[in-house]
Amino acid sequence: MPRVGRTLSSTILALLATASLHAPSSAQGQGQAAPPTMVDLAGSWTMSNEEELLIRIDPGPELGNFTGFPINAAGRQKALSWNSTIQAVPEHQARPHPAQYSMRGPGPNFHMGEVIDPVSRRLIGYTITGLFENANRTIWLDGRPHPSEFAEHLWNGFSTGEWENGMLKVTTTHMKQAFLQRNGIPSSPYAVMTEYFIRHGNLLMMISQVDDPIYLDEPMVRTQTWRWNPNQREQPIGQVEIAEELPDLKPGDVPHYPLGTRHPEYADANGLPFEATLGGKETLYPEYVDKLKEMMRAGEKRGSR
Amino acid sequence: MAVEASVDCATMSRGFIRRVAPLVIVGAAVCALSAQQTPAPASRTPRSASPIDLTGNWVSVVTEEWLWRMTTPRKGDYTSIPLSDEGRRIADQWDPSTDGSCKAYGAGGLMRIPTRLRISWRGDDALSVETDAGQQTRLLRFDRAQAPGSRSLQGHSLAEWEPVGGQPVLRNGRAIGAAPPQGGTLKVVTTNMTEGWLRKNGVAYSENASLLEYWDRVAFPNGDVWLIVTSVVSDPRYLVNDYTTSMHFKREPDGSKWRPTPCRA
Repeated sequence: MPRVGRTLSSTILALLATASLHAPSSAQGQGQAAPPTMVDLAGSWTMSNEEELLIRIDPGPELGNFTGFPINAAGRQKALSWNSTIQAVPEHQARPHPAQYSMRGPGPNFHMGEVIDPVSRRLIGYTITGLFENANRTIWLDGRPHPSEFAEHLWNGFSTGEWENGMLKVTTTHMKQAFLQRNGIPSSPYAVMTEYFIRHGNLLMMISQVDDPIYLDEPMVRTQTWRWNPNQREQPIGQVEIAEELPDLKPGDVPHYPLGTRHPEYADANGLPFEATLGGKETLYPEYVDKLKEMMRAGEKRGSR
Repeated sequence: MAVEASVDCATMSRGFIRRVAPLVIVGAAVCALSAQQTPAPASRTPRSASPIDLTGNWVSVVTEEWLWRMTTPRKGDYTSIPLSDEGRRIADQWDPSTDGSCKAYGAGGLMRIPTRLRISWRGDDALSVETDAGQQTRLLRFDRAQAPGSRSLQGHSLAEWEPVGGQPVLRNGRAIGAAPPQGGTLKVVTTNMTEGWLRKNGVAYSENASLLEYWDRVAFPNGDVWLIVTSVVSDPRYLVNDYTTSMHFKREPDGSKWRPTPCRA
């Protein structure tokens, strides 16, 4: 090849090589897909219990306290018929907490562990251990699909995760019919949960949204925070011995309150109008503060007559 | 990013010099072009460097601590708050006739009040956060040269954009990791506050308190966009440990539900 031709071709090759070296940063600048930022979430996390302390730990939420939940009429009816005695039925005694609730209480203090592919050394998942009655979770990060809609539903559901701007977005399906709160506020098996885990140094914040077309008027959104705690040690798994606790219960009986039952005790104890304790999406927004004040004033007037 | 690009160019150029001189010329030309396209960090304002957009109209959705946020709790109800003996003594002295006081709308407690927020840029280096409840305005300043001034209910807030997960670990000035940070969070540290309340029933923080916040934004599959404010109040006088909470606000399309309500001075 003549000298000029060789120089020209090597120049073109150099141009292409240089352009390819710069392609990733240029593509990012133009908004094209960039490799995801992964943030290390592994480690032991201790709950920050400065919110709803008595509700999230013990004694737990009161019967009839549905405040803060956008439940619809079906959800309210089911919640009002829930009787805590059902937890003493043998079939319910060792039930773990469901994924819809297990990150909320009691505690939990948990450990997040990495699932590493032994060959590629890629992070393909996270485990969350330390949840109530061993309802431990696995969040798959390897792009595997969710199971068929006919697949078995589990206490921890089926979770997949993806990185989004340094935040871990987790989608959970296949959860069992269970509860959003330990006082019977229900969650159907059709619910889908989306969570974002966001780490800020030694703080971990998680926002979750449970979208349930059966029992909610709008998705239920909650946030939780934990602190990184390398000294935390997991407690042994609680051993639950199934025992006969309800000798008078006839076979087939399911403890419940009959339809139409009211639970005014929570409202009475806190000076709230009974209607306000029944939840519903209207009650979650700032404009309800004034309505609540009016109802309380009206109640005081009725009480003083 | 600019640092990374220059390191790549330097490495690449050394390799080419050893081999083919004409290629070095072409490589240098492309590097120079790339450097021109990447704005120098110093020229970017906090506004133009925003990794997330926090501006717009947002509303508190009170799904947690409903009793303690939607109503004025009873005197002496400081459930969940890690008060010191002195903090309890102050809380127990609360006078219920002061319900509605602006002290409940200070920076340390404002985000827990059921409210709407209107967030906008004030110039290129400060975010203004207005609340309709209590009609307060917080100014989150990126300019660290600004003097704090005298103590105030909203204090002096210094803001900075931070990659989610924290600042990257550097070696020889270059971030160590698989990918450069994307996205980000707004970190805000507030000091110079006057005494205020963590709850409307007079559970107080002192003027020695400081407030650390992280402001995040996420979008859920149903299209809802949320702002989350993680708040850590530290107060050596009235708290025995940090008071950590997180509040979530849903994005609204406009300000049509904005309803200013004053607090009582």
